[in-house]
Amino acid sequence: MTVLAVERLTKQFAGRDSPAVNAVSFEVQTGATVGIVGESGSGKSTLARCVAGLIRADSGSVRLNGVEVVGASPREKRIFRRDMQMVFQDPFASLSPRMTVEELVGEGILVHGLEKNSTKRRDLVVSTLEKVGLSAEHLKRYPRSFSGGQRQRIAIARAIAVRPMLLICDEPVSSLDVSVQAQVLNLLRDLHRDLDLSILFIAHDLAVVKYLCESVVVMSDGVAVEYGSREQIFDDPQHAYTQSLLRAVPVPDPSIERARRAARQQ
Amino acid sequence: MSLKIALRRPPKRRRSPLAERIALVVIALLVLLAVFGPSFAPYDPLKVDLALALLPPSPDHWFGTDMNGRDVFSRTLAGAQITLSATAFVLVVTLIIGVTVGTAAALGNRVVDEILMRITDVGLALPSIILALGFAVALGPGLLSAIIAVAATWWPGYARLVRSVVREVRHADYVEAATALGVSRWRLVRKHILPNSLDAIYVQVTLDVASVMLVISGLSFIGAGAQVPSPEWGAMIAGAAGNVTNGWWSLFFPGLAMMITAMAFNLAGDWVRVRRDPTLRDGIAR
Amino acid sequence: MLEISDLRVSYPATEGRVEVVHGVDLRLERGSRVALVGESGSGKSVTARAVLQLDQDAAYSGSIRLDGEELLGMSARRIRSIRGFKVGLVFQDPLTSLNPVMRVGWQIMQPLVIRGVDKKEARRRGVELLERLGVAEAGVRFDDYPHQFSGGMRQRVVIAIAVIAEPELLIADEPTTALDVRVQAQVLELLRDIAEERGLSVLLITHDLGIVAGFAEHVVVMRNGLVVERNDVDTLYASPSHPYTRGLLRAVPKIDGDPAQRLLSVDEIAEETQ
Repeated sequence: MTVLAVERLTKQFAGRDSPAVNAVSFEVQTGATVGIVGESGSGKSTLARCVAGLIRADSGSVRLNGVEVVGASPREKRIFRRDMQMVFQDPFASLSPRMTVEELVGEGILVHGLEKNSTKRRDLVVSTLEKVGLSAEHLKRYPRSFSGGQRQRIAIARAIAVRPMLLICDEPVSSLDVSVQAQVLNLLRDLHRDLDLSILFIAHDLAVVKYLCESVVVMSDGVAVEYGSREQIFDDPQHAYTQSLLRAVPVPDPSIERARRAARQQ
Repeated sequence: MSLKIALRRPPKRRRSPLAERIALVVIALLVLLAVFGPSFAPYDPLKVDLALALLPPSPDHWFGTDMNGRDVFSRTLAGAQITLSATAFVLVVTLIIGVTVGTAAALGNRVVDEILMRITDVGLALPSIILALGFAVALGPGLLSAIIAVAATWWPGYARLVRSVVREVRHADYVEAATALGVSRWRLVRKHILPNSLDAIYVQVTLDVASVMLVISGLSFIGAGAQVPSPEWGAMIAGAAGNVTNGWWSLFFPGLAMMITAMAFNLAGDWVRVRRDPTLRDGIAR
Repeated sequence: MLEISDLRVSYPATEGRVEVVHGVDLRLERGSRVALVGESGSGKSVTARAVLQLDQDAAYSGSIRLDGEELLGMSARRIRSIRGFKVGLVFQDPLTSLNPVMRVGWQIMQPLVIRGVDKKEARRRGVELLERLGVAEAGVRFDDYPHQFSGGMRQRVVIAIAVIAEPELLIADEPTTALDVRVQAQVLELLRDIAEERGLSVLLITHDLGIVAGFAEHVVVMRNGLVVERNDVDTLYASPSHPYTRGLLRAVPKIDGDPAQRLLSVDEIAEETQ
């Protein structure tokens, strides 16, 4: 079943020469992980925000479970936001500094009326925290006392607490250290498997996308230049841009890098 | 993570915490005085007894008596209630109007913003003294005129401050994240935007206590505010102006009271500022 | 040519001082490329910056010898004369390391001009260098301002400034972290070519194990202010000895890796070895 269907989505900002997102189309099936990959300025972040309804798209369609997002009223948006949650890049800025972990993770549950009883809500919060590797002892603490990786877990917990169908992640690991990045990526993989969560993963790091995503959309200058399965994109890229991107990604293996450099110099 | 915490720079000037503690104690005392003070006054602050005029400080009259024979200490206590409650009243009204207008301007569309800001500009352009005199003429002189005048000229400053802070906070990542969560606009303002914007306000309010008090007292001093025989501190000084040489105590003690109040709140304001967040914008001292 | 012995660096903190580098040893032979690798908080940047004492509040102990000359304790004037002359610096963010109100060419010429080189000659050399670094129409662009360049171009300008006075050592602190992957590849390639051409020694500070594999001959791994492993690049990648290094290598997603192979975090490696 198609959880998300994006069709010819377009967005151009005032004063710019070309659209940030130019007639982009792709689909996300239930339980699938789709990666949107591109360099800076490719429009991938704008695309994510248009899909999430945070930015108003100029034209095109975004259907979440058949419901149209583009042009929806704020009230309508709030309703389908339950099914589509987002995790942002900067773990230090995306959590309100004056709210405790309990309030933050419980906010979605509260706002969408999923559990009115506050004790039961707390239990839900605790079980969600445990899913991301945190615990009840973190409930009353504020974001500032946590590390970047932990804050990202809190952000993820907040997003999955409302049991969305789709999780949109906008560069969620780019500001994290290598070892912490691995933990968060594994967490996303596990949640994807355990909760049958569909994930739309936006990143600039191709190796990360390859690890996490079964399908990939490659973006350049607002246009989706290539769209295929992981194997298709990484083993047999068709578009020149994709090929040049892959060529540029460094491999953590000195002998391979040496061979590549020798090949380049011919 | 611990490395990052450890590397945070220490505040440039380490003020002695003793000063802050004294300031807080003084403020607590002042609040107590303002509420209960007059009940402890040994004499009736308004009773005139010319036989006791201009007595210097003594065990009977700790602060002496003024030219009308009224006990200065009792009057100072009574004045605490008047001056401080007038100041508090002005600040509360100012805050309510200023925060509402500033928030509405920052969150509304351009039209709303423009309209509200132009109204604010008008408010900023009015000098409080002239306005107070105007109210004095219209409503008759008195503390009420002074209060209205000061509040009317003070709220635009807060509106401006709140507007600029909220405008920044509005674009913060966590606000966007809350929107993505499905939080309603109202809750967004109440739980995310306002709590994170009001930090700057706390600082400004503490600094303004002194300023507002001085303006109100100043207005009383020139006759546009509280009138003699009110024991409002400014009015007390006005009434005693002629007694500098032969009754300095009737000027000195109310003046001292004002000075201590101003200092205590300024120190407390500074302490609030440093404690809250070292990267906070400086409060605008007027 | 660069020898760091038992370097300790401390900074002022909310209470007293805190030591962030706890006795680091490092050797850089002439003409070699060494990568100093670590995550945030490892002390790698602090160590590199200590060479030219770039941080005012830092307190140093130990020894840093450049060509036999002891740098710690040297007068500020002497250090300044070494910067740009014997040692070139390339930093992460070209936006902040270039003066936005000065023409790019002027900034490139500076290291020469202050050493008494004739302006015409300095300009000639600057344009030549910019061309060598792959900037098209270098003669014209020489007079542009930094904001008129893209990120990758700005970084080339920074490199030009760093190498124009023919230093012997180049210290590059995360020079490509802010760049897109294709530009990153180009800039690293350039850096390597220039280093080889001029016999430059390079100390590259980074967290990215991918670029280290393609750039460095020797690798020094730091963690929490200490060196945990040092080796030549092939040995380090093929058979890392320290659990932390192993953890780092297993935690990095590889473009040629098998997605089914689970990434391991450093903690999981530590548990394994216990």
